Amino acid sequence: PCPSRCPGSGARLTPALSPPQGYPGAGQPPPVGPYPGAPYGGGPPPGPYGHPPPGAPYGGGPPPGPYGHPPPGGPYGGPYGSPQPGPYGGPAPAGNAPPGVDPEAFSWFQTVDTDHSGFISVKELKQALVNNNWSSFNDETCLLMINMFDKTRSGRIDVYGFSALLRFIQQWRSLFQQYDRDQSGSISFSELQQAFSQMGYNLSPQFSQLLLARYAQRSPNPSIQLDRFIHICMQLQSLTDAFREKDTAMVGNVRLGYEDFLTMVVTRML
Amino acid sequence: YGGAPGGPAFPGQAQDPLYGYFAAVGGQDGQIDADELQRCLTQSGIAGSYKPFNLETCRLMISMLDRDMSGTLGFNEFKELWAVVNGWKQHFVSFDSDGSGTVDRQELEKALMTMGFRLSPQAVTAITKRYSTQGKIAFDDYIACCVKLRALTECFRRRDTTQQGFVNFHYDDFIQCVMSI
Repeated sequence: PCPSRCPGSGARLTPALSPPQGYPGAGQPPPVGPYPGAPYGGGPPPGPYGHPPPGAPYGGGPPPGPYGHPPPGGPYGGPYGSPQPGPYGGPAPAGNAPPGVDPEAFSWFQTVDTDHSGFISVKELKQALVNNNWSSFNDETCLLMINMFDKTRSGRIDVYGFSALLRFIQQWRSLFQQYDRDQSGSISFSELQQAFSQMGYNLSPQFSQLLLARYAQRSPNPSIQLDRFIHICMQLQSLTDAFREKDTAMVGNVRLGYEDFLTMVVTRML
Repeated sequence: YGGAPGGPAFPGQAQDPLYGYFAAVGGQDGQIDADELQRCLTQSGIAGSYKPFNLETCRLMISMLDRDMSGTLGFNEFKELWAVVNGWKQHFVSFDSDGSGTVDRQELEKALMTMGFRLSPQAVTAITKRYSTQGKIAFDDYIACCVKLRALTECFRRRDTTQQGFVNFHYDDFIQCVMSI
């Protein structure tokens, strides 16, 4: 399902909140079978974290176009997705951006590249990316982003990588905004369940609980910020791909040796 | 002893030197969270001459022993953690031949193998890539790595009912067990 076609708040009902097959007390076994991705329900992944189209160096779908009018303080909209308020909200200097790089992205790159090395490190990236509650993106997610967009294999990203990363993040912000039905700025248990379901995953409520325990701040109503949401979804996709690769018979079941298991997980999870 | 809120729960606990560190940071509930663990470990000097642990590593350490999924450790769990981390530290020190507080890829590989983790070259590459700065892995990151490997190993072992080194994973179970670390 493409995110731009997903209903916003009129989301489709999810009767499948009962545990899938294999769990104690589970209901019907899922249909095995004729349709692709059956035991996983994954289907083709929605845009933002799919595989890059052939020829495109970076992941994600087509860029959503220009960033739009920057509100005061930043290029991204209102309560949702403003980066650190700062001095760079104004129009970028013309003519300096490398070919193919959006001038705003270039201007932002220059601000974030505090040591003027021409590359952005994890630490510098942390300064650039914020959640809706103004907390910086956590280390894990920044690392993930760098690894995704680092074509130089140096652990840092150049201006092209950064530009692609910004587009990528913007797509995620939109998706996050859709799933955040009550517009609280973070994603709650039920919103997370809904998100997984809409993405085509058929995962148990226990799984969502586990993720909240692992990723959310301790509180009576734990919820997940954008950075952790991105991290979760990307990891889920990656591990699902890894599992699928081994499950050639498409039965939702794989026999793994210990070393294989470690390799599979370690190469995808770290 | 006993009875007083926040006081020792059993005779002898107060004499345990570890209890001093624990009580100094723990609240009235006798539980410590990741922040408090970080302070506690730093004060105890377990990191020795190495840098103190970062918060994410502390969170990982708690999750390793946090059986009630509370996100906190009680004193007994803390003691267990202490013993495990000390063991890992001795191991790290034995491979840190120049005492720099870091190990390189080969030393890391040897250290992990001798701990019993069977890692393919790709796995070692992934680990080194993730945890090294300029080809060197610091003590804190080594611990984070050990915690993750240990958790994954536990997850696998618990399901290996015939103890043959093979597990049949259902998709959901695989995802859940791996992503909860």
